[in-house]
Amino acid sequence: MRTTRRVFLGGAASAVIGGMAGPGVIRSACAQGAASTVRIGMVLPVTGPGADAGRFALNGAKLALEQVNKAGGVLGKPLEIVTEDDLTTNPGAVLAFSKLASQSDLVGFLGSIRSTQNHAMAPDILKTGKPVCFGGTDPVLTQMGNPWLFRFRPNDSYSARVIADFGVTTLAKKKWAIIHSTDAFGTSGAKALTEALGKAGATIALDQGYTNQSQDFTPVVLAIRQSGADVIGSYFTFENDLGIFARQLRQLGVTVPWVGSPSIVNVTALKLAGPSLFGTYGVADYAEESSDAARNFGKAYRAATKIAPDNQSSWTFDAVTVLALAINKAGKTDPQAIREALLAVRGHEGAEGTYNFDKNGDGLHGYNVVKNDKGNIVFDKRIDFYQG
Amino acid sequence: MTGSPLPQAGVAAPASPAPRRLPVGSLIYAALSACAVFVAVSTPLNGYLLNILMQAATYAIAVIGLTVVLGLCGQINLAQAAFFGIGAYAVGLGTVDLGVNFWICLAAGLAAALVMGAFLGASTLRLGGHYLAMVTISFQQILTLVLVNWIPVTHGPDGVPRIQRPALFTDGQVYLGLCLAVLAVVAWVVWHMPRTRLGRAMRAVRDNELAAGVTGIDVYRTKVTAFAIGALLAGLGGGLFAGGFTYVSPDQFAFAESIVFLTMALLGGVGSPAGAVIGTGLLILIPEWLRFLKEIPGLYLAIYGLAVILIVVFMPEGIWGFLGDQVKRLRPRRPAPPRAGDLVLTQSAASAGPVLEVEALSKHFGGLKAVDEVSFTVTRGGIHALIGPNGSGKTTTLNVLSGLYKPTAGRVRLDGRDITHLPPHARAAAGLGRTFQNIRLFRSMSALENVVIGAERPGNEFAGADRATLQARARAALAFVGLEARAEEPVSAFSYGHQRLIEIARALAGNPSLLLLDEPAAGLNTSEKGALTGLLRRVAAKGVTILIIDHDMTLVSDVANHITVLNFGRRIADGVTATVLREPAVIEAYLGQDSAEPGAGRRDPGLRTDLHPA
Amino acid sequence: MDLVLQLLFTGIGIGAVYALVALGFVLIFRATNVVNFAQGEFSMVAAFLMVVFAVDLEWPYWLSFLIAIGGMALLGALFNLGVYYPLRHRTYLPVIISTIGASIFLANSTLALYGPQPQVLSPVFETQGFLVGPVFLDSQYLLIIAVTAVLVAFQYWFFEHTLIGKKLQATSQDKEMAALLGIPVAGMIMLTFVYSAVLGGIAGILVAPVLFVSIQMGATIALKAFAATIIGGFGDVTGAIIGGLALGIIETFGAAYVSVPYKDAFAFIVLVAFLVLRPQGLFGERIAEKA
Repeated sequence: MRTTRRVFLGGAASAVIGGMAGPGVIRSACAQGAASTVRIGMVLPVTGPGADAGRFALNGAKLALEQVNKAGGVLGKPLEIVTEDDLTTNPGAVLAFSKLASQSDLVGFLGSIRSTQNHAMAPDILKTGKPVCFGGTDPVLTQMGNPWLFRFRPNDSYSARVIADFGVTTLAKKKWAIIHSTDAFGTSGAKALTEALGKAGATIALDQGYTNQSQDFTPVVLAIRQSGADVIGSYFTFENDLGIFARQLRQLGVTVPWVGSPSIVNVTALKLAGPSLFGTYGVADYAEESSDAARNFGKAYRAATKIAPDNQSSWTFDAVTVLALAINKAGKTDPQAIREALLAVRGHEGAEGTYNFDKNGDGLHGYNVVKNDKGNIVFDKRIDFYQG
Repeated sequence: MTGSPLPQAGVAAPASPAPRRLPVGSLIYAALSACAVFVAVSTPLNGYLLNILMQAATYAIAVIGLTVVLGLCGQINLAQAAFFGIGAYAVGLGTVDLGVNFWICLAAGLAAALVMGAFLGASTLRLGGHYLAMVTISFQQILTLVLVNWIPVTHGPDGVPRIQRPALFTDGQVYLGLCLAVLAVVAWVVWHMPRTRLGRAMRAVRDNELAAGVTGIDVYRTKVTAFAIGALLAGLGGGLFAGGFTYVSPDQFAFAESIVFLTMALLGGVGSPAGAVIGTGLLILIPEWLRFLKEIPGLYLAIYGLAVILIVVFMPEGIWGFLGDQVKRLRPRRPAPPRAGDLVLTQSAASAGPVLEVEALSKHFGGLKAVDEVSFTVTRGGIHALIGPNGSGKTTTLNVLSGLYKPTAGRVRLDGRDITHLPPHARAAAGLGRTFQNIRLFRSMSALENVVIGAERPGNEFAGADRATLQARARAALAFVGLEARAEEPVSAFSYGHQRLIEIARALAGNPSLLLLDEPAAGLNTSEKGALTGLLRRVAAKGVTILIIDHDMTLVSDVANHITVLNFGRRIADGVTATVLREPAVIEAYLGQDSAEPGAGRRDPGLRTDLHPA
Repeated sequence: MDLVLQLLFTGIGIGAVYALVALGFVLIFRATNVVNFAQGEFSMVAAFLMVVFAVDLEWPYWLSFLIAIGGMALLGALFNLGVYYPLRHRTYLPVIISTIGASIFLANSTLALYGPQPQVLSPVFETQGFLVGPVFLDSQYLLIIAVTAVLVAFQYWFFEHTLIGKKLQATSQDKEMAALLGIPVAGMIMLTFVYSAVLGGIAGILVAPVLFVSIQMGATIALKAFAATIIGGFGDVTGAIIGGLALGIIETFGAAYVSVPYKDAFAFIVLVAFLVLRPQGLFGERIAEKA
């Protein structure tokens, strides 16, 4: 025991010293490289429940990085992405961002796809004063007066308007059941959908929240059955919840049409839920058939990763592409100049749609409606609310 | 890390040794803390380092809360993050939604955490162990669900952004200085806590609840106090955390964070605030250092998990415990203290009535009548023996007398006062002292500390006296049993016989009016027994009444002037020693039990160690 | 009425899962007096082993199952040697922390080895279930309920009617006495860990088709199973089963009739009520004074 303890302690001590020295080494290596590249930071989940989404996000960003560098890079130098794990938690995101922000040579950042993490990082973003491109869809994020937030996905007020518009006008259904997670994404989505449906003259038979990582949705499904709703609108955050819900919905014989938020058509959801999702509609910020830009991205993404593209990778692809574009247009890495260049982007055809930034920093203003046709995602129509 | 303030901030907080006489240590400590605060405020820090330090400082305050509840008092708390969250949300919601001043919000958060902690503790601390663990987990889960779902009040999962810092502290580094200063104060207070009366009571409860009770410590209240203090410190940490990050959301205060707090405390060493600071620092830094392994998802957290196991296995007392052992080995021995005075045992000579009156006392375990309507009276002065064969109900009687068991029926009076329904600590306060058959000392303490706890029993004239008086009293008691020279040694260093003497000294230091001795001669060799006989006579000579249980008839007949005999839970004889020992029923009970009552000795072996009826 | 029956079936199905994991808790607790915080990770690892062999390598289901169970037995043994055995003479606290460390380690090394994607493990039966009157009976839940029943029966027989089972009981009641009687205590504890890991593994494989296979699956179930253990009483196997079923039913009905978002709170509110009003659990023994 004595000797093993001594050996262990020795090992531990050297590990501690190594740990102390480690980041320093990395940093000095970075410092040398700083002159030869233009670097942007990216906060993404590598561990925790969002690790999956993080992987897709990185794929999209890397694809854009390759294309940007192939086309000559940024300001004549190659572009480089520095990543930090946010652990899929809010404190993790704050630490990850502040760690990136402390590297003064980073000229811009990619934030999170999860609204709540962007909320958490917002004070630090304001302090840092450099543009952050993010994918969270809570409308409030771009309305807080934080000038450095730029959204690369359409916000939930649009998704709700599209769900309501499609369900009420195209499907002609007026009696709605709204199912949503009780997190930031789900509650804000449900709120927007309730408003949009009210304007469209539909009634809400059921508004039901659930907590993430539920193991069973039987009570929810039975409530839908009892409410007599003839259409379901949903905001699900995690695909495993969506999968369990979908399966139980079908098992308990609920067959009414279902129009869901983007997660209903993403790759993981399709894999997990399988046939249970056949025939459902989703609003998708990314739909492969919606435009040439989307098709090109899809082709390149498949070639690079061998998996189907979805919104988790398309928004980071667009963000890196547009950020590079803005820096080149600004002609320098001054944050204010990049910000103005980003706000000036008009009519950029991205994988997610056409980017027209408004004064709040929202780049997209519409959604695609897609249908799950026996496991294939088929583009139905695009509904866009952008008015010059 | 590249910044210099980190190690300083980490080490400065706990580094001072415990001051005994002059507060030199405290002064050095204050100077070092001031330096750390100054460095934190003046050295330019980047945002990342600032965030890490802010997190470490505020977490450490909450982890020190665990030092109190777990380290000092031995009670588990898996809801520390919930109390942390209560403090944080009080500051968050108060400053953002209600526009109330930061300090008022912080105070409200502290009050809320304290009240919740006391309530949670009061409702469940009678259970202890794993049950307490479960209740705290439940509280933790429910709080998280409320924070997530009660959207109108808590903002739900969005959390509360743009939290206000107090005026003067709006700058990040100045605020960090504030956090470090608070941490330094909290660490100083908790560092000195073990040597206060409350701290001693907590340690006694942790080491041995039964013994703590019979030496006059209100076990339950001590536990609830410790739990409430722990919650209070978590609330304080949480309130400062909210101001530091200016954003709070429910997932920052989830169960996983409670586990992190607990791991921090155990890793650094749960016995001391120094350990808490070390553990917090390491557990915040290790995952940050390991970030360079991020290429493979999960790898660094896997290494972190492995490191936790290794540290628990190889450093049982945590890092600080390990370092502390090394330091102790180097530290020179203390100079010998002044010679102890004579032990004064004052008895209220005024009341001439009997010390103890037992009337028709019964204790049944289910259908088993362990004690059945036993009555006897112990007159003042002298030594009264309660004897009987195995399983006759002697120890059960003693346990009922000292309040460890509730009697089924009957009445007990001490000095004419009815104590039948009092809890153990209240009986101790009324003047009842006792020792245990299987010795129950406070294992982690020195002989002196054990006896100090006896000396400060409530009701004793020394209760609440200053340290010097208490220690003089304890030394006198140790001198009385002949162990003064070894007063500073830990009790584990003493032989079995000497441990028994320490237990007697602990009871004597409390100046009891009646001393209950449960088989004091058990396990002693002949010469030790001889010494014990002498000791008991000397105690009696000082006017203390003794009620003794023992098998050793030589000892009993040597010292006792009055004997009560039990058999099968009933009194079969009572009277002056010489007379009782000649009674046929007594002789039959002892010598003829095999022929008279086959299997009597085996009737209920469980009764021999009465305290373990299961 | 059909609503009530449907909820009851689901509640029992979910409850059976909790009960199965709770069984593993109780066994380890009785043998070692500590709560194993990594019990949920046993379920997660077993489910991933199934995905590796049955889905990725496309080996036959039964063979993959045997390999996964064998793997769990090995993991249980290693767990005992690495996480419990070195700490066996210490109080319960270091052991709890050590199992927490093990839980973090298992979850994240699985993540490192297999990546973060949730996986699908197809159910044993082709058909999803049957409609009996208005009530839909999910075939996987039926299987879970059946397996739980069989395992409970087996456990009863094993502990009450085999020599090794009785030795295990003796060990859990009084280690010193058992050692004096010549029972290899260390071996018995090893056996307990192996068996608990296998139980947890079976639970994981059974729920995988219902809840999908993810890194987080273990932690969520384990916490509920924990609560079930308390409701049933820590010392008692029957208690764990009843506690698990009760929890499943309370949760499902609570969600249906009170609140869906607060579903997880019901378990813990019931738990606290039990601890305050009836700390010995439904069937458990009295808490003895321990000092």
